[in-house]
Amino acid sequence: MILGIETAVEHVGVALGDHRGIRARTSLASDRRHAEALTPMIQFVMQQAGVEMDQLSAIAVDIGPGLFTGMRVGLAAAQSMAWALDIPIAPVCSLDAVAMHHDSTDLTVAAALDARRGEVYWATYRMRGPGQEPHRLSDPVVSSPDDLAIHLAERAEEVVCVGSGFDRYSDVFEASPWVSTLSVRGHSPSAEALVTIGSQMLVTDRAVSASAVTPMYLRAPDAEINWQVREGIS
Amino acid sequence: MSSEVNDSTVILALETSCDETAASVVMGGSDVLSSIVSSQIDIHARFGGVVPEVASRAHLEALLPVVNSAIEEAGILPTRIDAVAATAGPGLIGALLVGVSAAKSLSLVWNKPFIGVNHLEAHLYAGLLDDPSLQFPLVVLLVSGGHTMIIHMKDHGDYTVLGRTIDDAAGEAYDKVARYLNLGYPGGPVIDKIASEGNPHAVEFPRAMMHDGLDVSFSGLKTAVINHVKKNPEMHNVDVAASFQAAVVDVLCAKTIRAAQQVGAQGIVLGGGVSANSLLRSEMTRRGNEAGFKVALPSRAMCTDNAAMIASAAWHRLKSDGPTSLECGAYPNLKLAAVPR
Ligand SMILES: [Zn+2]
Repeated sequence: MILGIETAVEHVGVALGDHRGIRARTSLASDRRHAEALTPMIQFVMQQAGVEMDQLSAIAVDIGPGLFTGMRVGLAAAQSMAWALDIPIAPVCSLDAVAMHHDSTDLTVAAALDARRGEVYWATYRMRGPGQEPHRLSDPVVSSPDDLAIHLAERAEEVVCVGSGFDRYSDVFEASPWVSTLSVRGHSPSAEALVTIGSQMLVTDRAVSASAVTPMYLRAPDAEINWQVREGIS
Repeated sequence: MSSEVNDSTVILALETSCDETAASVVMGGSDVLSSIVSSQIDIHARFGGVVPEVASRAHLEALLPVVNSAIEEAGILPTRIDAVAATAGPGLIGALLVGVSAAKSLSLVWNKPFIGVNHLEAHLYAGLLDDPSLQFPLVVLLVSGGHTMIIHMKDHGDYTVLGRTIDDAAGEAYDKVARYLNLGYPGGPVIDKIASEGNPHAVEFPRAMMHDGLDVSFSGLKTAVINHVKKNPEMHNVDVAASFQAAVVDVLCAKTIRAAQQVGAQGIVLGGGVSANSLLRSEMTRRGNEAGFKVALPSRAMCTDNAAMIASAAWHRLKSDGPTSLECGAYPNLKLAAVPR
């Protein structure tokens, strides 16, 4: 059994399942009370599924990019649990999980999350079919929505666009002829997608030990950026 | 629950409220089996102060190694742990959440109670950890980079704040003066060091509100130091530092001893990072003893943030109030007497 923990976006999600499917799930539009909600939600999902802690074989957690504080709540929980249970972690990128909303399309998929401050986190994918982990065409980056629009234009192909980054800057993308589907709102990374991707990472030996997990911030702390500017380091 | 909390109850505690990632295993509320502290001072030094986002990232990185070391050094198996505690506030919200989230998860996995601890209350227990013979009522001077409080500790969990700073914390004044004198960060240790080579009577800096209640103020002192250095650039840093430190310590000692006299305390206890200051320790001991009080000076390791004091406070809270709900979050502005739900 794999436990999926999603806290890198506004909502909190917990799911339990394996390669055969999801056994139990719960999610909460938590508005930044991730830490309060997460532990009772894990407890609830385990009880619903009738699964004991020692039956867990791995924990799949969203390592970002996303809300810094939120993703650390999930990582601290996942790492502590995995350490205590001596099981591995499947570190899943938030954008991979977002792309899973369109796992059956033949078109290129672009997943983007609102990174605030006028920027988006994004990556592009080729999908491998229903329930299959997506194949990345480009690695996750943070950029202005305009830069993402330029990248999509340069691909010169139809692209399915999904995630809060496209919702937030719909004005930038609606005008683009390359955008085939501008996905509806609410397509966040889900805990179920984490379990699905995580179970594939587990069988292909890409799960790691609890202490080897590193968050994907993509952006340095402000103080770090200011300091580098002051010291002339770029 | 209270009947199960006894001298053999083992608590694992985490502390991540500011710039130290700490974990400790304590038995029976006072027997420290291990206390591991991973300091971030070097990480923040170039910024001249603690940067919340930098601190939170460092806490997450240090978390597992620190917890692992605490359990290894305690020489116990995780199955021996009876409860898991974490600082729930006050402190930096993003930093606190790392410890709270980890501790609640361990509590869930091990099916053991969780205790959310008030960091200020824990500082009061640091003194008791080093000197278990202390008798209530006590007056505790809690001085750090974030806090300056004179507290009447009547019993476990029973406190009244008698006085506090109306502006800067004592440690904050040290940092600001050190920054102005280009002495680096953190200011406390470096001023303490060079002050020993200077003349504490070189400048008579103001002792604000000296005869005026039990509150203190350090903002005017900081300004007086800056103005004095501007007007007298030839004056040596060692003399400025010694005179500044003399003023801070004079006020802290006078007010703490007066508070102890007013409430009829059995003793005076120091706590918080600034209580590692050598002049404060020697002056409080000398003047406190002269006034007839026993003065307890926790070891340096117990003055600064650590998780042993969190475990100790958690043991007393578990005994009196039982566990904290797993819905506990982080409370950046938690007041001394408040308990996380
Ligand atoms: Zn402290």
